[in-house]
Amino acid sequence: MINIISKKPYKSLSLKLSFFLILLSTASFSLWSDSFFKASDSTIEIISESKTMNAGDELLLGLQFKLSPGWHTYWKNPGDAGEGASVTWSLPEGIKASEILWPGPETIPVEPLMTFGYEDEITLLTNISASEAAVFPAILKAKISWYTCKDICVPQEANLELTIKGGDKRDTSFTNQLSTILLDLPTNLPSQHRVEALDDSYFLQMELKDDASINSAYFFPEEYGLISYSKKQITEINNNSLSLQVPGSEVDLKLQKFAGVLLLNSQNSSQFFNVSLDLGNEQKAEAFSLMDLVITIVFAFIGGLILNVMPCVFPILSIKILSFVEQSEGSRKKMIQHGLSFSAGVLITFLSIAGLLLVLKSGGESIGWGYQLQSPLMVTLLIYLFVAIGITFMSNLILGGQLAQLGNFTQGYSDITGSFLTGVLAVIVASPCTAPFMGSAIGIALLQPGFSTVAIFISLGMGFAAPYLLLSFYPSLLRVLPKPGAWMETMKQFMAFPMWASALWLTWVLSGQVETDTVLMVLLGALLIALSLWLLEKNQSSEGFIKWVAVSVATLLLGSALWLAPTDYENTQDKSSSNGDSYTPELLEELLANDQPVFLNFTADWCITCKVNEAIVLNQTSIKSALKSKNIVYLKADWTRKDAAIADKLAEYGRTGVPLYLLFSPGGVPTILPELLTEDILLSYINEIK
Amino acid sequence: MQYLLTLFIVIFFQVSQANVQTEQIAPDFNLLNTYGEKVSLSEFKGQTVVLEWTNHGCPFVAKHYKTQNMQNTQGEAKKANVVWLTIISSAPGTQGFVSNLEANELTRSRSALPSHVLLDPKGLVGRSYGAKTTPHMYLIDQFGVLKYQGAIDDAGGRGFMFKNLSEAKNYILLALDELKKGKKITDSITKPYGCSVKYSS
Repeated sequence: MINIISKKPYKSLSLKLSFFLILLSTASFSLWSDSFFKASDSTIEIISESKTMNAGDELLLGLQFKLSPGWHTYWKNPGDAGEGASVTWSLPEGIKASEILWPGPETIPVEPLMTFGYEDEITLLTNISASEAAVFPAILKAKISWYTCKDICVPQEANLELTIKGGDKRDTSFTNQLSTILLDLPTNLPSQHRVEALDDSYFLQMELKDDASINSAYFFPEEYGLISYSKKQITEINNNSLSLQVPGSEVDLKLQKFAGVLLLNSQNSSQFFNVSLDLGNEQKAEAFSLMDLVITIVFAFIGGLILNVMPCVFPILSIKILSFVEQSEGSRKKMIQHGLSFSAGVLITFLSIAGLLLVLKSGGESIGWGYQLQSPLMVTLLIYLFVAIGITFMSNLILGGQLAQLGNFTQGYSDITGSFLTGVLAVIVASPCTAPFMGSAIGIALLQPGFSTVAIFISLGMGFAAPYLLLSFYPSLLRVLPKPGAWMETMKQFMAFPMWASALWLTWVLSGQVETDTVLMVLLGALLIALSLWLLEKNQSSEGFIKWVAVSVATLLLGSALWLAPTDYENTQDKSSSNGDSYTPELLEELLANDQPVFLNFTADWCITCKVNEAIVLNQTSIKSALKSKNIVYLKADWTRKDAAIADKLAEYGRTGVPLYLLFSPGGVPTILPELLTEDILLSYINEIK
Repeated sequence: MQYLLTLFIVIFFQVSQANVQTEQIAPDFNLLNTYGEKVSLSEFKGQTVVLEWTNHGCPFVAKHYKTQNMQNTQGEAKKANVVWLTIISSAPGTQGFVSNLEANELTRSRSALPSHVLLDPKGLVGRSYGAKTTPHMYLIDQFGVLKYQGAIDDAGGRGFMFKNLSEAKNYILLALDELKKGKKITDSITKPYGCSVKYSS
C-alpha cells in the first residue's frame, strides 16, 4: 500500500479502482437483489438455517428485521392501527413457502390507542419445503412490504433473494438463532383453560401448575371486533388458577372464536401460547322450525276463537250476526256472502296489524329495541299492564267503551259492505280485552321472520272469523249459541286471574334482573295503579270538581307507579347466589355435628374468579336443585372485607386467598374442589355425596 | 370555566372513547372548517353524511389520494348529493396537523372534493367517534343514524402497498348504494386500517 501511494502515477488509478469497487459493492445491494436490504430506519435480511438442501427437505428461513431505536413494526394483528409485514414469494418449481410464523408480540401503546408489534429486532419465520421436483441451485425471491413506525409510519419495500444449493443441510451462523426463535413461537396452551363472556368482558381462565411463578398475563387477539385493544386487561392469580379479564370490543362483531396469543409473564421469563376457544356465538337455530310454526299457528287459531267470547266482542257480534241473518231473509247465498265479507274484513285488519308490526319491528331494530324487550323497564311496564287489565276485568271500569260503541257505526251501511266493516270494527272493538292474547302473538311475531308474523296473524284472524263463517253456512247452529248474559260478566272477571298470574310470573323474571328492594318498589307501583283504577271506577259517574280531583289523583298515582319503575339492570349476583347462609365457624360446626353435608364457598367481591364461577356455575338452577336434592347446605364465606374467622379457615387448608370450594360429606371430611368450577365438575362431586 | 368543561369532556371521552355504535344516533359535533366557519353535524339533517378521518402524511392516506381512489369516492358521493366531511384530528406538532391554508392547498393540489375539511386538533370529535386510523370512515344517514363505520375498502391487511385499489371492494360506495335503495347495509362494520390517528396524549 505504501508503495502505491508513494508512486504517484498509480495514485489516480488506485482512486479510480477503489471508487469502482465501492460502486460495485453498492450496486450489489441495489442491482443484484441480495438477501439484505437497508431501509431508512430498519434493515431486513433473509437468514437461513442452511445454504444447502436436498429435494424432500424442509428448511427454516427467517426474515430478520432490525429497527432503529424507538421504531417498531407490527404483528399480524396490528391492533388499533398499522399493518404487519407481508411477503410474496416467487419460487422455482417444487419449492413451497409456508405462511409466516409470527413470534409473540408486545404491546406498543400510542395514546389513546394500542398497537401490537415488535421493537428493536424481530425475525419472522417461514418453512421452505422442497418436493422431489425441486432443482438446485434454487433461487428464492421474496417481495416484502412492511411499516416502520415511531410517531409517524414509513412504508418499506424490499426485493430479496437467496440461493439454495443442492446438498445435505449444513449449519450456518444463523442456525442456532433460528431454532431458538422457532422454540419461542407460541405453542398450544397445555393447561386446562376456558373463556366466559360476562357483561362487557371476556374472562379467560386457566389452571396453574403448583410450581408456576406466573405473575401476569396478556391476551393478543387474532381478529378485529373481539376485544378492546386500549382498555386494560386485569390478571388475577389464585392458588392454582389464573383469571384474565379482557374488556370486550367497542365494536362487537360477534366472533365465533376467542382466538389469539396469550402471554404469560413470570419473574424471569415470558412465554406465548395459542388460544382458540369457541364462544358459542354460533347463529342460534333462529330459523324457528316448521313444527314450531305449525304449533304457533294452531294456537293462534285457538286464540282467535277465544277472542270471540271476550265480553267486549261477544254482545256486538252476536247482534251483528243476527242482523245479517235477518238481512239475508233466508237466502242462503246472501248469508254466505255476508259471512265471507265479514271474514275478509277481519283478515284484512289482522293483516294490517301484522304489517304495522313489521314496520315497527324494522324501525325498532334500527334503534336497538330487541334488547329493550327484556329490560327491567319493559318487564315492569308489562307487570303494570297485566295488573291493570286484571283490575279492569274485575271492576266495572269501562275502558275503551267508546270503541265498543263504534259497532253502531256500521248501522248505516247495509248488506255486504256493512258486514265487511263489521269485520274490521270487530277487531278494533275487541282490542281492549284481546290485548293479552294479542300480546303473546305480538311477542312471538317480533322475534320471528316476516312470513311467520304474517302467518300468525292470518290464523288469529281466521280463528276470530271462523264461528261467523260457520254460522253463515249453517245458520241453524245459531240456536246452540249461548245468549249474551250474566255469564259473560263472570267470564270477564275470571279472566283477571290469568292476567295476574302473568304479572306474577313477570315479577319473578324481574327479580332476577334487579334487587329485592326494587322489586318491592315495582309491587308498590302495582298497588298505586290498582288504587288509581279504583278511584277512576268509583268516580266514573261523578261530575265536575270531584271527577276532576279523582282523575288528577289517579293520574298522579299512575305517574308515581311509572316513576318507581327501574330503568336498568342491577347487580343481583350476590343476592341470587346467596341462597347460601353466611358462614360462621359455629354454624359449620353445628351442621357437621348433625351429619349435614355442606358446600362451603369462600368468595369475595373483588375476586374475579369467584364472580365468574358464581355467575356461570353456582347460580345455575341445575346446581341449586342438585344441592337441594342432596340436602346439602350452601354456606358462603364472604371475604370481601377480610375477616379473621374466614382467614383462619382458609389457612387450615393452606390458603391465603379465595376462591376455595369445600364440600363436606356427612362424615365431615371435606373435599377441596377445583378453583375453575364447571357445572359438570361440581355436579359430579355433588353426586358423590350420599 | 370553559377549560374546566373541556377538561371534563376530555376525561369523559378518555374513559368512554370509541363508543359509537352502528344503527345508533351519531354524536353531534361542532368544528371549524378550513375557512374558519362553524360546521356541525346536525346542520346536515336530512342529508347523508360521510366522515373521513385523514392525515396527509400517512402512507395509507397518501396511497388513496395518489391513486385517485379517495377523490373518486368523494366524486361519487358528491354526485349523489352526499355531504363529505374530511376531519383532521392530528394534534399540533404531530403528523397531519395543518393550518387552514395548508389544508386548502392540499385539497386543491390533490383535487379532493370534500364538502368541508374540519380541524379537530384537540381530538375530541375523533375520540368521541373512536376514530383509530387514517383513513377511518363513517356513514350517517339522513336521520343522523350511523350506518357504517370502518375502512374505506377491503384493501386493508397485510400487503396493502401492493394492492390495486381500483380492484378493492369500496365499502363506502356499496353502503351509499344500499342506503339509497333502502336496503340493509351488508357490511356495516369493518376493521379500519391505516396509521394511528395522531391524537394529543
